[in-house]
Amino acid sequence: MKPVLAKALAAAALAALLCAPLASANPVKTERVTATLESEVAAAAPGEKFWVALRQQIIPKWHTYWINPGDSGLPTEITWKLPAGAAAEPIVWPVPKRIPVGPLVNYGYETDVRLLVPVTAPRDARPGDTLRLEAQARWLVCEEICIPEEATLVLEVPVAAASTIDQNKREGFAAGRAALPTPAPFTAAVAAPGTPQATTTLQIDMPADMAATIKDVYFFSERIDAVVHAARQTATAGRSGLTIALPTGPLPMKADESLSGILHVVEKPEAGGQTHAFAITAKPDPNMRLALAATTTGNAGGDGISILEAMGLALLGGLLLNLMPCVFPILSMKALGLVQSAAAARSQARLHGLLYVAGVLASFLAVAGALLALRAGGESIGWGFQLQSSWFVLLLAYLMFTIGLNLAGLFDFAGGRLAGIGDSLTRRSGGGGAFFTGVLAVVVATPCTAPFMGAALGFALAQPTVTALAIFLALGLGMALPFLLLSLFPQALRFLPRPGPWMERFRQFLAFPMFATAAWLVWVLAQQSGPNGLALALTGMVLIGFAIWLLRQLGGVRKVASRVAYASFAAIALLAALGTIAAIDSPVVAATQSNEKQASDAEWQAWSPQAVEQARAQGKPVFVNFTAAWCITCLVNERTSLSTDAVRNKLALSGVVRLKGDWTRRDKAITDALAEFGRSGVPLYVLYPADKAQKPRVLPQILTEAGILAELDRL
Amino acid sequence: MDKRGFLKAGVTAAMLAGAVLIAGTAGATGGGPLVGSPAPNFTAKDSNGKTVNLADFKGKTVVLEWTNNGCPFVRKHYGSGNMQKLQDEATRNGVVWLSIASSPPGMQGHVDGPAANAEVVRAGAKPTAVVLDHNSVVAKTYQARVTPHMYIVDPKGTLVYMGGIDDKATANPADIPGARNYVREALGELKSGKPVSAPNTRAYGCTVHYAS
Repeated sequence: MKPVLAKALAAAALAALLCAPLASANPVKTERVTATLESEVAAAAPGEKFWVALRQQIIPKWHTYWINPGDSGLPTEITWKLPAGAAAEPIVWPVPKRIPVGPLVNYGYETDVRLLVPVTAPRDARPGDTLRLEAQARWLVCEEICIPEEATLVLEVPVAAASTIDQNKREGFAAGRAALPTPAPFTAAVAAPGTPQATTTLQIDMPADMAATIKDVYFFSERIDAVVHAARQTATAGRSGLTIALPTGPLPMKADESLSGILHVVEKPEAGGQTHAFAITAKPDPNMRLALAATTTGNAGGDGISILEAMGLALLGGLLLNLMPCVFPILSMKALGLVQSAAAARSQARLHGLLYVAGVLASFLAVAGALLALRAGGESIGWGFQLQSSWFVLLLAYLMFTIGLNLAGLFDFAGGRLAGIGDSLTRRSGGGGAFFTGVLAVVVATPCTAPFMGAALGFALAQPTVTALAIFLALGLGMALPFLLLSLFPQALRFLPRPGPWMERFRQFLAFPMFATAAWLVWVLAQQSGPNGLALALTGMVLIGFAIWLLRQLGGVRKVASRVAYASFAAIALLAALGTIAAIDSPVVAATQSNEKQASDAEWQAWSPQAVEQARAQGKPVFVNFTAAWCITCLVNERTSLSTDAVRNKLALSGVVRLKGDWTRRDKAITDALAEFGRSGVPLYVLYPADKAQKPRVLPQILTEAGILAELDRL
Repeated sequence: MDKRGFLKAGVTAAMLAGAVLIAGTAGATGGGPLVGSPAPNFTAKDSNGKTVNLADFKGKTVVLEWTNNGCPFVRKHYGSGNMQKLQDEATRNGVVWLSIASSPPGMQGHVDGPAANAEVVRAGAKPTAVVLDHNSVVAKTYQARVTPHMYIVDPKGTLVYMGGIDDKATANPADIPGARNYVREALGELKSGKPVSAPNTRAYGCTVHYAS
């Protein structure tokens, strides 16, 4: 027996010898990766959570993977062996990089990455104990080819009554945390079509003017194959925020599934040019407007779309516009005109058709020209921009309402041609009327095209000028086509119903789509300008109705004095109605502010140069926060740093006077103050020490809680 | 009366046409293969210089297997004999099995005809043919992304499966015994006339090397 025992012992010793260097190895260097297990604390406290990192230093050109590796590859995995009572959470993934491989895309990390893991020490650990953390890590490292690698890493962390940070690791972990996404200050919704090759729509809620500050956006989906990783993503800024069209991947999401991921945002240079990565979870939204999903699906199909395809889609979109409730009545009005003139010369019908086309195209070109000019001016905007100005919405609502009243039979333009210039122009006999019907059809189509065509026009605006113009022309041509065909092929007119008493009934019926459109516009306005805007709009409508009624009385009144009285009252009512348009407020951005923000707002006073002087004269330090409601970086700083308890308490304890300069409307005094510090935009954070001899200190544009606390310590 | 009826019908028809147009444009974007749709046809040379035309296999079930003999994920399934066993089972049952090598010259996994044949002998593989897709045309048609990426075409020419070989996305052969082999499952279901229960799955592996 003895020799056997000796052999067994020898074998055990050998095994221990062989295993020992492997087991305690840390770092482990493979051919391509140096893997290190690190702890942020030099000593951990019982029951407390501390950060551990698996650091991968990767040779040039090679990469490891994010939780969703993209089109190929595998995420790094860690299997833990921990002391009883200790627990490790899943990896908190840093923001990945998009790594193109031929036509495919991977999501991963190059050079140097720390995969952070929160670990909780056992409650019953005692000071003096040592926690042995063993991580069996497996990863795939790829360049053009892929190599699976693994390492078993062991880290021993002493236990102490209170935890202490390892000063040698402080910087590394700070870098690791800086690479993590920030919790998104926005909510998001997702509408997934459930079938591959359609479009998954991601809607990020933010004020329209904030969405307009974004230059570039990319969504990293955590869920594998929910979207086509390699596809270009089309983002449109609009009233409801930022809409991102994501071509659906081979494994579509279910309708009730949430979509998590990282939203990578680059601000426009004039808005600060900062880059942000937000961790965001989009809730499934069955109510997301079908129209929106349908059009983004049809028109934002990604990078494969050629000019011809885009023009084809625009042509179809234009055709569809004819069915829109805002356009169809106009078109029908004109069709009725054609019916009446069908007996007249065919050449005249043809001329009218061509003039109508010219009117539509001229309007589309005018809009395109204006849009392109604005774009050239450094603004990138969606089709809905007209609707962003409340006065325009109100004007359209009044126009729709007036046309509705006319169609319903309350008055005739033949009697008094005072209301609705646009409509009266269309009523002109001859070619001018046809041209202006084309123009009016386009103006009137705007509220319908805004939600429908946003994506197509967003696409057009992202194109070179010639392409954009081609797309607009195709859109216009599509819209004018049915009318053009009717006038070019008068045979088709035979299929149109003959005039008769039904026409009056039909005309009256058409009033209702007009009223419906007016109602919708008023709803849009209520969203923008609140209850006061709603009251103004309804008052305006009553005034318009009253004015029209007054004008109708003119026909039956003979006495000059009475006629003048009626006419003046009508004029006053109309002027008052127009006055409501001037009085209407611009969109209310502040409505999206949360209670929490308002609470912390109360601690801030309005900035003015005098307020700064006054506080400094009293020997108080001053913190100035130049911000704007549309500024993403400002919002992020407020969430991550300015409104945390630690910073608020420290500010209060240090007796700092907090002044906020709101540059949302580009206040002149603030613009000047920014210029004094060599800045042309927000955010700008300035800390004035109490001692007037000291110069004000400018804080970085992206704040951290630790950074502000350190600055306040220096006061 | 009939005039108004005509108008009403016309408007309704136009609206329906509009809805169809929206749906149509929705389906028209993207492209690529779709389970439940006809499998895109292709013609290519095999390792023996013979022309392979997918449409010629109508009436038979066809398996497409993207391969790259240097890829660790492919090696997982060949080194363990898993892929060869599945090929053997399938081809014995009359299934046509096409292994497709899309790596262009100079890239890992590139094989010419003789090399491909030698690899089949060395590995004891049992494909019906090895298709050489050096210009990545077939890979592009099928939007093949990884090796191994698996597709199954039923006897009517409909694509009935696309995705991974199994549900264990690792390069570790030890994971094969406990894995759910989607391809074996789908072939079994096809044979007994049942619908494929998991027709779209996650394809895992190395990137397909595309010819530039």
